[in-house]
Amino acid sequence: MTEASVWLDRIRSLPLPARVRILNVCGGHERSIAMAGLRDVLPPEITLIPGPGCPVCVCPEADILAAIRLSQDSENIVVAFGDMLRVPANVKKGELRSLAEARRAGADVRAIATPQDAAKIACANPLKNVIFSAAGFETTAAPVAAMLAEGIPENLSLLVSLRRTWPAVAMLLESEAPGFEGLIAPGHVASVMGAEEWQFVVSRHFVPAAVAGFTAASVLAALHGVLVQIVNNRPSLGNAYPAFVRREGNLRAQTCMAEQFADFDADWRGIGAIPNSGFRLKSHLAAHDARQKFADIVAGAAGRTEAMPPGCDCARVVMGRLSPVECRLYGKACTPRTPIGPCMVSDEGACRIWWSAGQRHAA
Amino acid sequence: MPHLVVGGAAARRVITLAHGNGGRFMRELIRDIFARHFCSDSTADAALLPRFEGDAMFTTDGFIVDPLQFPGGDIGTLAVHGTVNDLAVSGATPRFLAVTCLIEEGFEIARLDRIAASLGRAARDCGVAIVAGDTKVLPRGQGGGLYLSVSGIGSRNPGAPPGLASIKPGDVILVNGTIGDHGTAILLARHEFGLHGDLISDCASVAPFTIAAEAFAGLRFMRDPTRGGIATVANEISLATKCRVTLEENKLPLQEEVSGICDMLGYDPFYLACEGRVVAVIAPGQAAALLAAWRALPGGGRAAIVGQVETGRARVVLRTALGGERILDELEDDPLPRIC
Repeated sequence: MTEASVWLDRIRSLPLPARVRILNVCGGHERSIAMAGLRDVLPPEITLIPGPGCPVCVCPEADILAAIRLSQDSENIVVAFGDMLRVPANVKKGELRSLAEARRAGADVRAIATPQDAAKIACANPLKNVIFSAAGFETTAAPVAAMLAEGIPENLSLLVSLRRTWPAVAMLLESEAPGFEGLIAPGHVASVMGAEEWQFVVSRHFVPAAVAGFTAASVLAALHGVLVQIVNNRPSLGNAYPAFVRREGNLRAQTCMAEQFADFDADWRGIGAIPNSGFRLKSHLAAHDARQKFADIVAGAAGRTEAMPPGCDCARVVMGRLSPVECRLYGKACTPRTPIGPCMVSDEGACRIWWSAGQRHAA
Repeated sequence: MPHLVVGGAAARRVITLAHGNGGRFMRELIRDIFARHFCSDSTADAALLPRFEGDAMFTTDGFIVDPLQFPGGDIGTLAVHGTVNDLAVSGATPRFLAVTCLIEEGFEIARLDRIAASLGRAARDCGVAIVAGDTKVLPRGQGGGLYLSVSGIGSRNPGAPPGLASIKPGDVILVNGTIGDHGTAILLARHEFGLHGDLISDCASVAPFTIAAEAFAGLRFMRDPTRGGIATVANEISLATKCRVTLEENKLPLQEEVSGICDMLGYDPFYLACEGRVVAVIAPGQAAALLAAWRALPGGGRAAIVGQVETGRARVVLRTALGGERILDELEDDPLPRIC
């Protein structure tokens, strides 16, 4: 494999236009970029923009509130991936604003590492309702579908907030000003769904794109591929993660997902509905759908929330419209210790990543 | 006979509340396990310590690792090395330990025996005597199996480093081996995230390295990068000296498995715990000689010069392998709970 420094030299020798903006749509990519300090060493013409790559950040606030409320019943155990626990909702002072706060107040809320952990907890607690607050992109949807396909305990239900990545990118591309000239497509998502899924970026919108893995070398290789396409004005879909990403993706996982989930126009926190961007449980899983099983509580949580706390620009940060340091709250009212928006909470959130890489002010 | 818990064919002897009640069970437990493995007198209420040369140095530490046994060690070896290393990096020769065991009701006695044996062995290997101890039993559900609290006394060596205040711009920072091994080994031992691996914790005494370093008059400061890793030690140096500390990413020794897992999970290896490593700050003229001395020691083959103290704004900067820079800030929250 070619080393990162070699790709960097190749990028530096390209005859770049005066400004070229490249969007990535994966927290893992943003992390690699920030941790390797790539923005410091790339030619100044290149702007790397973190885009919609944080599923927890776009999980509707209503779903977070529903999970918190469900945790208030002593008959219930709420489980979620670690990131989800700390994501704040926008509530009145004195009310519980996250699952982590609910846990501190005595609710049975547990962090899990894999969907199978949810099934295990349900098996171990047959007299309780176990509710799995499942937020994530395709890379989470696939293992959740696999768990569902295996058959799950009767007392386990899912509050599904799973999303597809490409519709958010499609929405940006269809907007008046997409804000980027090239795309680094997400390697993990593409390994499940296939590189093919990103072909529309090139064929419909003529925007250069390449799939990247998660090392600095792989990100730079993909970036180089995109920049060469831009320089030559010949958009195509590159793949800098060939060891894991095939054109068609993981067909078995896709079949499994199609059996368990249906697409719908899902809400993204602070952004609104994006066509065909959400997974919901199919009707044969109605008995395991927390939205039906606990319809009153879920519906009660839906009607009352603001999308984002006042002053919080997370929604615009998620869509790559604003860089983290441009948010008025970044580093002032909002830090990992006192997060206001979800982007400062999740390890995949751009604000959190920039903060942990030591970015304290506009570069 | 200690209490029997009948579990089908696998009936096993376990700790009961009676083992902490001060009576016969407790006396027998102390005699059969602690006194035997720790080679200590179990009858006295206080130990009379023989006189030694040099000022006495005293330290204490608690140990709550999960899992209790991991590749390369267990909570017993961790407790000895953790305490001994705190003394060693302070420039002391470790001499005496006191060990308090907080055991959860239901803990398997055979397991306690294995851990006490490895604790005793580690202490003997480090040349320290366990001279005092206590045992308490917590009701089931109120403890994590076994917690240890260890205090240590050492004698201050003539070459003990003067400390943080003596560090000057230009000084050089060394580490005696690969970083993040313990934190990663614990992560693997938990089999979380579906991860498996053969990585072994670096859990060990750093005394051979600190003794070697004390031969150098230019030695300023030593610390063991346990919780919070090397980034946290660098921040302590920066905070105390009000100097910039620069670490070089491509000089920091990392095992391939550690960097692979960090890439996968988004952990920063510079914040992961080590349990057999020492960071030293030394005058620039003696850094190469200290590096050579460390590399000549068993287990020191991957010792490295990893950074320097510089004038400039007080912060820790990592110069990345590609020549970029990023700040290594103080840790905001614990990436891995219960590791040491």
